[in-house]
Amino acid sequence: MNLTLTRFFLSEFRKRRKKAALITFALFWGTMSILLLLSFGQGMTTQFQVSFSGLGQNLIMISGGQTSKTHQGLPKGRRIRMYPTDISYLRERIPEIKTIAPESWNNRQVSANGKEINRVVHGTTADFAKMRSQIPQLGGRFINPDDVKYGRKVAFIGWNVAKDLFGNTNPLGNTIIIQRVPFTVIGVLKKKLQDSMYNGPDAEQIYLPFSAFSQIDSQYHIDRIHIQPYTIEQSPLIEERVRTLLGRKYRFNKNDRYAIYIWNTIENSKDAVAIFKGIEIFLGIIGALTLLIGAVGVTNLMYAIVKERTQEVGIKMALGARRRNIVMQFFLETLFIFTKGTFWGFVSAFNLVNLIRLIPISYENFGIESYLLRPVFSLQIFFVYLIIVGSLVFLSGIFPALRASKMNPIASLRYE
Amino acid sequence: MIELSKIKKIYQTGSQSLEALGGIKLKIKKGEFVSIMGPSGSGKSTLMNIVGCLDTPSEGDYLLDQEEVGGLTFDQLAAIRNRKIGFVFQNFNLLPYATAWENIELPMLYNGKNTRKRKERLVELFNAIGLYDWRDHKPSELSGGQQQRVALARALANDPPIILADEPTGNLDSQSGIEIMELLSRLWKEGRTIVMVTHDTRIAEYSERSIHLFDGKISDK
Repeated sequence: MNLTLTRFFLSEFRKRRKKAALITFALFWGTMSILLLLSFGQGMTTQFQVSFSGLGQNLIMISGGQTSKTHQGLPKGRRIRMYPTDISYLRERIPEIKTIAPESWNNRQVSANGKEINRVVHGTTADFAKMRSQIPQLGGRFINPDDVKYGRKVAFIGWNVAKDLFGNTNPLGNTIIIQRVPFTVIGVLKKKLQDSMYNGPDAEQIYLPFSAFSQIDSQYHIDRIHIQPYTIEQSPLIEERVRTLLGRKYRFNKNDRYAIYIWNTIENSKDAVAIFKGIEIFLGIIGALTLLIGAVGVTNLMYAIVKERTQEVGIKMALGARRRNIVMQFFLETLFIFTKGTFWGFVSAFNLVNLIRLIPISYENFGIESYLLRPVFSLQIFFVYLIIVGSLVFLSGIFPALRASKMNPIASLRYE
Repeated sequence: MIELSKIKKIYQTGSQSLEALGGIKLKIKKGEFVSIMGPSGSGKSTLMNIVGCLDTPSEGDYLLDQEEVGGLTFDQLAAIRNRKIGFVFQNFNLLPYATAWENIELPMLYNGKNTRKRKERLVELFNAIGLYDWRDHKPSELSGGQQQRVALARALANDPPIILADEPTGNLDSQSGIEIMELLSRLWKEGRTIVMVTHDTRIAEYSERSIHLFDGKISDK
């Protein structure tokens, strides 16, 4: 294609662009819709993943239960409890375990700064932090292996606990009293979104080294074991091994679903991500259909333009235009109309998405706004959009252009 | 230059067939100024379209510069129209959205002429028709005579050996008509072949030879 000829068409087109104003608007609207819908869809998936990882990432959580099957002559209804020794027992026998941590808890009176509150106090080890997304705010830290080893009296507290006890002052280095034992605050949980939980949100919890917790608490069993595999594919295998090993140790049927409870966030998140992906695709299709309406408008407009300019096509043919010159002219015109309409749609959607993201969302309760107010405008969306627009330009441009090029020169010249 | 033998053009409308041209034999030598005359419906325009490679005959042979035109594709015919033939129409047929300059430039763009050559040629043509100051005006801003002069310059853009004029003065006042005819005569004197359709005997007097068509056949009057 001759560059100068393209420029010639461009200058011709510019003089006529007003006719395309309404169609340009339809394309603008369609583009904006598709991009916004895709962004919101992707934002929901992302937010779900963010909030789900608020509890933990790729986590297998085991807690004790009650047998529902007789086993080796033992009756059903027996209570199954896990003990601290199970941690090394499982770790040694299941090489697929990357990290494993115990957790025990009890409701305690906690006082500091002349205030007294009732909170769930937990005992755990250092690996718990990574598995359960316990990220400290600036200046603080979570419980470390030495804290556990030496039974140090230190505490990691949720941000709401910090607020309730210390208000706006920095709680780091301050002392809180639990069971008349003083603990030094070493870290405050950084704010995070969390949509699934046990014992309430992590913002309300207090964590102590497992050894220190045992000293102020009379319970011998542990309430929960957290396991993270090396890869997510290993999770069903680990689940199976845990049931077998604990079943052998505590004498219950490994197929007894109630003897121990296993909460596998990997399997849960897989399903949920699939649902959100489905919603995303659905929204994308709605957007694409909206844009399609715009494209049909363009096709219609181009047919009308071709008909209106029959005589012009005849003149150009008489002057020596080849078929491809005519095809290119009308095709380029379609492309220009599309480019103009979709460009502004793109810009508007992009800015809207970024504006909406500026709206603050609350970390305290996980409402609908935390899903809706964080749309994501990703590169992936941009490519999906390019493919859709590209095929629509082609579809709505090529047929009118071909019709123009196949016109009879004489009949076109005579057309009034 | 132009050699037609046994040219027939038959239009098929449903079951009826209409013979627009019934075996035309015509030879136009290089450098001739020929006018084709005849009443309306006699086939003048059809003949003109075939000569101009805008239409193909139903039967017969057409040799243009010793080349058979019959079997050529659309794009090959387009190339011939672009380089060998310049058209002047009764209703000017200028592109309404383009300026005079752009109108004359377009055949050169189809020809692939470079920018410098195009510009040189455009200046030359505008000086020849005396409308250089009007080059950025659109056809609607020009008078009929000026429009036809632009159309004539456009026909000459690629310096074709043949000019085909279909009633070139038909839509003009007599003064403008005379100006156009004088321009055409000058082109003829420069060595171009000119074929003109007209029904005006005074206009036909500018030509060397007149061919009379009647009912699709050349009549010897």
